[in-house]
Amino acid sequence: MKPLLGTLYLLGILVPEGLGYDGSPAQPRREVVGETVRPWRSLDTYSYTSYHPMEEIYQWMIQISEKYKGVATMHFLGMTYETRPMYYLKISQPSNNPKKIIWMDCGIHAREWIAPAFCQWFVKEILQNYEDNPRIGRFLRNLDFYVLPVLNIDGYIYTWTTDRLWRKSRSSHNNGTCFGTDLNRNFNVAWCKTGASENCHNLTFCGTGPVSEPETKAVSRFVESKKENIVCFLTMHSYGQLILTPYGYTKNKSSNHEELIQVGQKAANALKKKHGTNYRVGSSADILYTTSGSSRDWARDIGIPFSYTFELRDNGTYGFVLPASQIQATCEETMEAVLSVLDDVYEKYWDSDSAGKVTSTAVGLGLLVSFMSIL
Amino acid sequence: MQDTDPRNQVSDTFSTGVPGSKSQRKSPEPTPEPPSPTVTRGWRVQLTTTASSPAPALGRPVPLPTSLCHRYPPQCWLSSAPSSTAPNFIVWETEVPSLGERKQARSETQRISKSKQRQRAAGSPTGLGAGRRAAAGKLRPLGGGVSTAPSSPCQRSPGQTPPAGPAPPRRQPPPASGPGGPRPAVLLLAPLLLLALRGVAAAPAAAGGREDSPGLQDAELPRGLLQQAARAALHFFNFRAGSPSALRVLAAVLEGRATVNPKKECQVDLVFTTDHYDPEDGEEHLGKCSARVFFRNQKPRPAINVTCTRLIEKNKRQQEDYLLYKHMKQLKTPLDVVSIPDSHGHIDPSLKPIWDLAFLGSSYVMWEKTTQFLHYYMAQISSVNQWRTNDDAIDFDYTVLLHEFSTQEIIPCRIHLVWYPGKPLKVKYYCQELPTPEEASGTEEGSAVVPTELNNF
Repeated sequence: MKPLLGTLYLLGILVPEGLGYDGSPAQPRREVVGETVRPWRSLDTYSYTSYHPMEEIYQWMIQISEKYKGVATMHFLGMTYETRPMYYLKISQPSNNPKKIIWMDCGIHAREWIAPAFCQWFVKEILQNYEDNPRIGRFLRNLDFYVLPVLNIDGYIYTWTTDRLWRKSRSSHNNGTCFGTDLNRNFNVAWCKTGASENCHNLTFCGTGPVSEPETKAVSRFVESKKENIVCFLTMHSYGQLILTPYGYTKNKSSNHEELIQVGQKAANALKKKHGTNYRVGSSADILYTTSGSSRDWARDIGIPFSYTFELRDNGTYGFVLPASQIQATCEETMEAVLSVLDDVYEKYWDSDSAGKVTSTAVGLGLLVSFMSIL
Repeated sequence: MQDTDPRNQVSDTFSTGVPGSKSQRKSPEPTPEPPSPTVTRGWRVQLTTTASSPAPALGRPVPLPTSLCHRYPPQCWLSSAPSSTAPNFIVWETEVPSLGERKQARSETQRISKSKQRQRAAGSPTGLGAGRRAAAGKLRPLGGGVSTAPSSPCQRSPGQTPPAGPAPPRRQPPPASGPGGPRPAVLLLAPLLLLALRGVAAAPAAAGGREDSPGLQDAELPRGLLQQAARAALHFFNFRAGSPSALRVLAAVLEGRATVNPKKECQVDLVFTTDHYDPEDGEEHLGKCSARVFFRNQKPRPAINVTCTRLIEKNKRQQEDYLLYKHMKQLKTPLDVVSIPDSHGHIDPSLKPIWDLAFLGSSYVMWEKTTQFLHYYMAQISSVNQWRTNDDAIDFDYTVLLHEFSTQEIIPCRIHLVWYPGKPLKVKYYCQELPTPEEASGTEEGSAVVPTELNNF
């Protein structure tokens, strides 16, 4: 029922607004970009090395769930402030054994375009390779991937139509004089205590209350409902080339901080091997700045053990406006980092070696006992 | 690549001096220091006083007397014989005081202007201005005259909640040198004298027990502060080098040390590596810099002395600049661009030199605006207002969007620069503060014509 409703909303948005741009009377300033919105027909010609507007990403999700029917399904998560549907893709190989969940979200900040590009790349890589690639294949034996390609849909669209450097959501405040909440300050963890602003005009506005925004509500509700099974929470941002562990709201460290750093550092090393890009690893309060209400901190504090923020390329040269020519390299190296994290997570919970050891030990003990009983 | 040992490599040094001696600055300044060079311990390269050369009028290059050729080889290259006897150093001016000296000179006089400074730093009682001055933390309304300093002035903890009304500060010491009056300064003088004797390099500063943070050693330093200092130093270096083909970015901080005085001014000594800005071949070309950066407690324009090994041989750099210049002269005006890069990060190759030149001009602005809590990146050129090459120089008027950390704000700045290869860059700018209902919008402006600065010394 929900997907049907969602699809109806989707059609409702696409049809009257043509290509999905805001129907504001004054023509918003749009740059003459060298590209026009190409109506592509099939997934085979979808370009993973260019940036896509939201309507194309919606279409892409539908096509993914159609092409990979048994494994990839599209699910409704909630509505944005401007009543657009939020969808995530669930990648799951049907099986009898219970699965743990890897959550990945992109585009919580509208202007960080490389992040949604990576989410799409990630989905493509998993789905194109899980059958042939044993490393990825084994993940799908025990893990489900939940990927939210664009969390802040209203903001993302706004960066396409009006202001490329918009960051927040598009919720209206102060009688319509002020717009947007920083969704990554809106989660219910040390809400608005530090590194956030109570002033709607600021870009780190924490909202009118914890989880005040519909987007945050949608993610919170869902992740909370599945938290027993989520082992890994990855939230993708740009820029800065960082792998951040909890916390931002305090310099105190999480109980598994050492492990998180170790895993993170291993991921950064794997990333660097690909194209030589340097990433730094550390807690957000240590190497970035203090923040409160972030999704990563919230996820850790509700019990999800591996919670990371990735700040993707670059280091400030182009910043948010990363050239599309760098999408491929960025995605390839980030893929290595994420796979490295998944390796570690997988080995921690389903290490086949230790399982084997347990089995052989059990066999040995059994034999010993039977010998003893004979004697 | 080449030998990266600084002792064997050619280096350039640029520095800028104590605040208060420059006329164009708007902020209330304490008594200006006498511009005598101070020798401090350590690795500082070279100190000389400045030459008082006449400032060329905007756009009119003035040939220099050949006796000054060794100081300004590029000018000589332009106006006279091709072979230059330029030495390996370019020294502009010097003035980064040792911490002890400053304290003695300023401890009393500082008090009077301190409350003024604090008010200015605090900005309006509420809202955006306060937060911006307080470097992007919690932007609760400030009590009048209360400092928004976080627990350690050198530490990047911009999120510390400033006290609101009667409530005690959260995780914060009492505001520095507030209504305490002369007593704290007197209490601090004695240990400070001791410190001055022991020298800056050895001693942690700010001994007074009442003050929050002692001198921070390497282990305690938040990595952010060293990065911050490196960025400021590099912006300043890029600006002074004045060469759009030799711009540098930070690669990594190798080592660093910070000390703080009771005025919450922060001195950072550091060594870091740099790389070419956006190298075309994708290779690493590491250079090395050492710098002393003096952050003036959230006031802009950190004092900087920076020395960097040369990445490109001087003649080659001049050649590349001149090629860029010729290329720019050939661009069709008016330029038919909306923004650079476009939303997809694409810059037409023919327009790339504009981006580089804009970055050069923005470097000046970003240097001036950097404090120990705020730093900047150039996000996008949002408009090109004027592009003129009628005279010899490139006259470039544009609006750039600066991304401010850690407020995440986008600051539009209108910049007007004049550039000729080998000549010091002339920059004027005007940055917009985003208006909010609660406060009057503020503006920030400044300008630099380097020879004028020299004249002030």
